[in-house]
Amino acid sequence: MSEACACSGPEAGGKRPAFFGRGGWLLLALPAWVLLYAIIQRLSELIAFRVLGLTPRTHLGEAVAFFFYDTPKVLLLLTLIVFIVTFLQTFVSPGRVRDALSRRNPGLGNAMASLFGIFTPFCSCSAVPLFIGFLKAGVPLGVTFSFLVAAPMVNEVALGMLLAMFGWRIALLYTGTGVAIAFLSGLVLGRMNMERHLEGWVQDALKAPALGEVQEERPTLSGRIGQAVQGVRDIVGKVWPYILVGILVGAFIHGFVPEAYMAGLLGRRSWYSVPLAVAIGVPLYSNAAGVMPIVEALLGKGAALGSTLAFMMAVIGLSLPEMVILRRVLRPRLIAAFVAVVAFGILLVGYLFNAIL
Amino acid sequence: MLIEVFGPGCAKCETLLRNAKAAVEQSGGDHAVVKISDYAAMAARGILSTPALAIDGQLKFQGKVASPTEILDLIKA
Repeated sequence: MSEACACSGPEAGGKRPAFFGRGGWLLLALPAWVLLYAIIQRLSELIAFRVLGLTPRTHLGEAVAFFFYDTPKVLLLLTLIVFIVTFLQTFVSPGRVRDALSRRNPGLGNAMASLFGIFTPFCSCSAVPLFIGFLKAGVPLGVTFSFLVAAPMVNEVALGMLLAMFGWRIALLYTGTGVAIAFLSGLVLGRMNMERHLEGWVQDALKAPALGEVQEERPTLSGRIGQAVQGVRDIVGKVWPYILVGILVGAFIHGFVPEAYMAGLLGRRSWYSVPLAVAIGVPLYSNAAGVMPIVEALLGKGAALGSTLAFMMAVIGLSLPEMVILRRVLRPRLIAAFVAVVAFGILLVGYLFNAIL
Repeated sequence: MLIEVFGPGCAKCETLLRNAKAAVEQSGGDHAVVKISDYAAMAARGILSTPALAIDGQLKFQGKVASPTEILDLIKA
């Protein structure tokens, strides 16, 4: 849900341009991408130290070099990753996930919902219809919550960015712990019998009979590629301001914040570093891609991995706008339980990884 | 024909509504376009992701902003 309304579903309709029209364009785009990616480092140094005449190893010089290095890097990575992810998403749809999860037992259902949450396309505007649609089809409340937690928490774009920027170990840690939090919080919330804390109209809507069946069309290959191109346009077009802000913050941390200070604030030895990371992260509304430059700078400055993961998960998985949307269907007590359970899970992950890594 | 656009009112839903109106204009026919932002109505129609579009009561797609050309093709079909 962190991808505020920038998702697109697979149900394509209508004619698409011929595959080779787009294919030819893509064949040119890929080498251009590789070439650009290869020269960013030198280009950033050229701009910072030659064109702008800054001195290397000074605060300002390093911050500016970071900015000119990270901006094209994050944008290029994001474009490629969003293309791949949106293409893959045309093979899954919320409808199919709902059918797979309906009338599942807690346990297996929670596990499946947490895994499905990684790749299923849906945006914050769809959270309410999706929530009701799941319950209406007989998906248990706890299983629905596992899905609602996993979908933003284990963000597919964040996963791709982590993999590209920090390697498979951190990507796997992020995914594994996110899935575990979604699984457990759904299990806990399911046990609490929260059905009566749904808003009244939701309870009415659940009782109302369904009107007819929804037909889903199978998209063609060119349709899938078209969706992926559209996804890149939508998402990159929408999140670039967040990325720029993220990179500015990252550049500031990279250039100006002393390592000793960061290691003390978000280091593994400080007991308060994990709750602090969560407390800073929750009100910070950003996008998965926008957090990456900050994460990059934090890790570079010696912040502990557990605290950094907790910060990232709080930003992506527990944002205030998302709570505002969920408030349409959930009564305050259920919202509070939801936030508390997820925040507790994030804290646990933070402490766990600070302790073992 | 009756063309219904479903969505809570986010940017994507508004774009789809505009595209649907543009498609109706291009078709030259006398079709009604209505916007439905009531969540209960969406739930009743089995909509899981927005924006969605239905023609004469039949849901054509969901979770996608279709272009005017795509919607025009659906109207003509």
